[in-house]
Amino acid sequence: MKYTYKIQNYETPNGKGTTILRSDGAGIPVNENNTDYQAYLKWLEEGNEPLPADEVINTSTI
Amino acid sequence: MSNAFNLSQLANNVNTSGLLQVAGGGTGVTTSTGTGNNVLSAGATLTNATITTSSTGLTFSDSSTQTAAASPYVLKNRIINGDMRIDQRNAGASVTPTSNQYTLDRWQASLSQTGKFSVQQNAGSVTPPAGFTNYLGCTSLSPYTVLSGDLFIMRQHIEGYNTSDLAWGTANAKTVTLSFWVRSSLTGTFGGVIQEGNAASRTYPFTYTISSANTWTQISVTIPGDTSGTWNTTNGISIDVTFSLGCGSTLLGTSGAWAGAAYYGATGQTNIVSTNGATWYITGVQLEIGTSATPFERRLYNQELANCQRYYAKSWDTNTAVGTAAGAQGTIDIVIPVTGTGAYRTTVFWPVEMRADPTVVAYDNSSPPVAGTVYKGGSGKTAAYGNIGTRSAWIGTADATSANELYFYWTSTAEL
Repeated sequence: MKYTYKIQNYETPNGKGTTILRSDGAGIPVNENNTDYQAYLKWLEEGNEPLPADEVINTSTI
Repeated sequence: MSNAFNLSQLANNVNTSGLLQVAGGGTGVTTSTGTGNNVLSAGATLTNATITTSSTGLTFSDSSTQTAAASPYVLKNRIINGDMRIDQRNAGASVTPTSNQYTLDRWQASLSQTGKFSVQQNAGSVTPPAGFTNYLGCTSLSPYTVLSGDLFIMRQHIEGYNTSDLAWGTANAKTVTLSFWVRSSLTGTFGGVIQEGNAASRTYPFTYTISSANTWTQISVTIPGDTSGTWNTTNGISIDVTFSLGCGSTLLGTSGAWAGAAYYGATGQTNIVSTNGATWYITGVQLEIGTSATPFERRLYNQELANCQRYYAKSWDTNTAVGTAAGAQGTIDIVIPVTGTGAYRTTVFWPVEMRADPTVVAYDNSSPPVAGTVYKGGSGKTAAYGNIGTRSAWIGTADATSANELYFYWTSTAEL
C-alpha cells in the first residue's frame, strides 16, 4: 500500500515535539524501532517528500 | 565384627555389565532383573540419583512418552498466540491480507501477489485438535500458478529478548524444536523456514508431511542452533517462524540445513495457493529449546492477551473487531466544559508496556468509524497525536472549537 506523509509539529506545556501523520490517519512516532517510521525513512530515501506541516498545534490540557 | 562388609556377597550382586543389583529388598529396591535393571517398589524415593533412559525415553502413567528432558525454562514456548486464541483486529472475521498485514495476533501474512488466499480464525469451523479451541485457517482463493519470485507465507517474528538465551550466532547455539498441529485439504510435502528475521540473512528450510487430507496431524521439526549470523537479542526481530503457502523456485532452499540466503519455502513443497479452495489450518505452534517436542505450554488467557498487547492494543473490547461502530463501548470520551477555539488532547495509557513507541490511530465514533479522526459536535475532525511512548500518548485535535465533547477509539501498534 502506497502512503503519503505529513509532518505534525506540536507544543504542549511540557515541550515541543513532532509526529509523522500517514495518509491512512495513523500517527507515527519519530523512533527508529517503530517499523512504520522505518518505512517512512525508506520512503524518504526513495526521493519522496512529506506534505508541508500545518501550523504548530498548541494544545491545552483539559 | 558381625557388621563387617561382606565383599564376597557384594561381588555376587555385580552383573556382567558392572551394575550393582540388589535382590529381594532393601529400601525401595525390590528386585533385580536378568537384564540388569532395578525395579523400584511403590512409593520409593530416589535421592541424588541420575536416571539414564533408553532410546524410547520415559513412559509415564498416562502412557505418554518423553524422549528428552523438558525445557527447564519458565518461558518454554517462544511463540505468542500459538494456540490462535486471540484475534484482536478481526474478532474471527475473514480477511484477504495485503503484504505484511497482521491477521490473528502476532501472525503476519506476507505475499507477493494479493488476493490469492484468505485468513480467518477457525475458518471452515472444523473441530480443532483435542485441547484446542482455535486455529488459524488459510483458504486458497484461486488456482494460482506460482511465479519464480513469488512468496505466500504466514509467519511470526519473535522478539530478540525472547530468544537471547538460545545464543544463536555463537558456538553455544542451542538446538530448538518446532511443533504444531496442521490440517489441509491437500496431502503431500509442505514447507516452511526458520529465519533470521531482521535481514533474512540466515535461513533453515524444513519440510513436513501430511498423509491424510482433512485430518489434524502433529508435526515436530528439530533445528540445530545456528552458530553463524547475527541474531538480535533486544527488542528487534530475531527468529522468524515461517510457514509457506506458496513459493517460487528462486526462493526455495534445501531442507535440513542452514544457508546464508533468504528462502521462504523448501524444495519439493506443495503450493497451497495453486489449488482453488485448498485449505491449510494450523494451531498449537510451539518453539522450544531441546531435541524433542514437549506438550504445548498452556498460558492463562489474560497472560497471553498481555503478551499480544506488547505488540498491538486497542480501545475496543477484545472480541469486537477494530473499526466496528460500538457506540460508547471502547471510546475515550473527553468532556470539554468550555466554548471557544483551540486544540484539545487527553493522555491514553496502553494496557501493557509496548515493544517500542507505537503507531497510533484514532477513530471517530461514526458508523463505520473513520481512521485518523476524532468526533466532535456531529462530525469527525482530523486527529492529532503526540508524546507517543511505550506506555502512553496523547490524542486530540487541533479543531476543538466550540466542542462540548470529543469521542474516539484508538489502536496502538508496535509490531516487529
